[in-house]
Amino acid sequence: MSALAKLVGIGLALLLGQVVARMLLPAAIQPDLILVFALAMGLRGGGLQGLVLAFGAGFVLDVLSASPLGLYSLLCGTACAATRLFDKALYLRAAGPWAIYVGVYVVANWILLGVAQRLFAPDAISDWAGLVLRAPGTALATALAAAPLLSVFRRLLSETDSEAAWPVLATHGPRSR
Amino acid sequence: MSEQLRRYAYPLLYLLLASVCAIGVAAQHGPSEIGFAPRMVLNLTLPLERMVTLPVQELRGVWSDYVALVGVREENDKLRGRLARLEDENQQYREAILSSERFQRLAGFRSQREIPMVPANVIHQDLSPWFQSLIIDQGAAAGIRPGMPVITDSGVVGLVAGTTPGAAKVMLMIDPQSRLDVYVERTRARGTVRGAASSTCDLDYVLRQESIEEGDLLLTSGMGGVYPKGLRVGRIAKVDHKTSGLFLAAQVEPAVDFARLDEVFVILEQRQVPEDDAFSSLDEGLWPDPPPPAKPEAVAEAAPRAAPEAPAPRPGRPAPARAAEPAPAPRAPEPAPQPEPEQVPPWAAEPAPPSDPAPADPAPAEAVPAAPATGTTP
Repeated sequence: MSALAKLVGIGLALLLGQVVARMLLPAAIQPDLILVFALAMGLRGGGLQGLVLAFGAGFVLDVLSASPLGLYSLLCGTACAATRLFDKALYLRAAGPWAIYVGVYVVANWILLGVAQRLFAPDAISDWAGLVLRAPGTALATALAAAPLLSVFRRLLSETDSEAAWPVLATHGPRSR
Repeated sequence: MSEQLRRYAYPLLYLLLASVCAIGVAAQHGPSEIGFAPRMVLNLTLPLERMVTLPVQELRGVWSDYVALVGVREENDKLRGRLARLEDENQQYREAILSSERFQRLAGFRSQREIPMVPANVIHQDLSPWFQSLIIDQGAAAGIRPGMPVITDSGVVGLVAGTTPGAAKVMLMIDPQSRLDVYVERTRARGTVRGAASSTCDLDYVLRQESIEEGDLLLTSGMGGVYPKGLRVGRIAKVDHKTSGLFLAAQVEPAVDFARLDEVFVILEQRQVPEDDAFSSLDEGLWPDPPPPAKPEAVAEAAPRAAPEAPAPRPGRPAPARAAEPAPAPRAPEPAPQPEPEQVPPWAAEPAPPSDPAPADPAPAEAVPAAPATGTTP
């Protein structure tokens, strides 16, 4: 099985994990695992494939939720791009910084969600008072869930990059290794 | 060119995809058909999600149906106890509401009458199958005296047979000792209602030529002087048209349901009824202990003394039964003009009923009547 397929499989597993978490955990501590996946796709080795996968994960979330189609895609793609932007600066290769980054980005993602709603879907404004109350718990739970996944993502992303599974979109490829 | 493309590919691709998403979000207005791509995603992901959620749901069911039920028995017992308390409380509230409605009705009835009355609660029903009486929680301290009539908003209940300071015994109109002079509202035909120790009474001394029918309403005539005129007594339930005799006979269904009697009114009109010493002299306890059997000498001495005042009651019967409204005079086929009710002493003016084997002479008004004339002893 190629590393790309494994990444897709992990994304699917995280999606199902989020479904289970929504069933079992209180709303205040439900982790946003799809966002973790999207953020991880921006790590070194993700490249354009990672960006497409992040948008794809957001699209699946759009389909499975009541949000306007494309809203979560936009957010997940933005999250992936943001990680790519801050990867080197924040040294996101260690679990600690990675978890903190994810936790902070959860809050930032909600702000972006509000901005996107205001810009593109003013009819779908969320209940911000409730979201603000849930933000700390969700951020913490997401950060805790993201920390152990970092090594898995890094390994698979490097494999994907080295396999050049999608050569047109591979940015680093075997050359960078 | 290729190097520049590689350098700017990422931002370009991001801008492209983000623009598509933004346009997609902005283009949506309200519900719409699911497109091909979302439908494909749904078709792919929903079965997987179903596979995951089903076991989780089963697990949650096991948890909530079995594991989480530990301690439910104890909670159930507590809730049962609480439910019992609440039901009891609810019953009390319901009873209070019913009592309030009754009191309102009685208060309205009382305000319609100008007769001074004392309200009282029934606190005891006669346990004997032969006599019909009850005890109320108001007595001599409230001004109640033997002989006073007892009524409700439905009609006549009976009359006070004896009192203590805090209670009074009421002989019901269905007691065999009771007599009420009544008239039929529709035809004004007069008669006497006699208690039958059952749920119904008998109507006697209605002349044969009078017209009475089932359902006719009977009202007190006021002739006896005990009951005010016009109180409801009951309705004729069955008429017995005898082939011979001077009078008709009928059964009367009382207007008052004696089985469901809770509150009554005592009309405070003092009558000249000899008090029952055995009852009225009680200071403590409503009923005295049965007296020891009297010696023959004592009985012999007491009898002449008691005889002029009152007829000897039946053994075991309360003497205030004498206070019942006297039976009316038996009327001849050609009825004589009736005397004015107010001018007739309650228990002296009526002669004995014709059932008496000896022809009864009308007693003088001042004389203390014999037992049959008072209508208290059957």
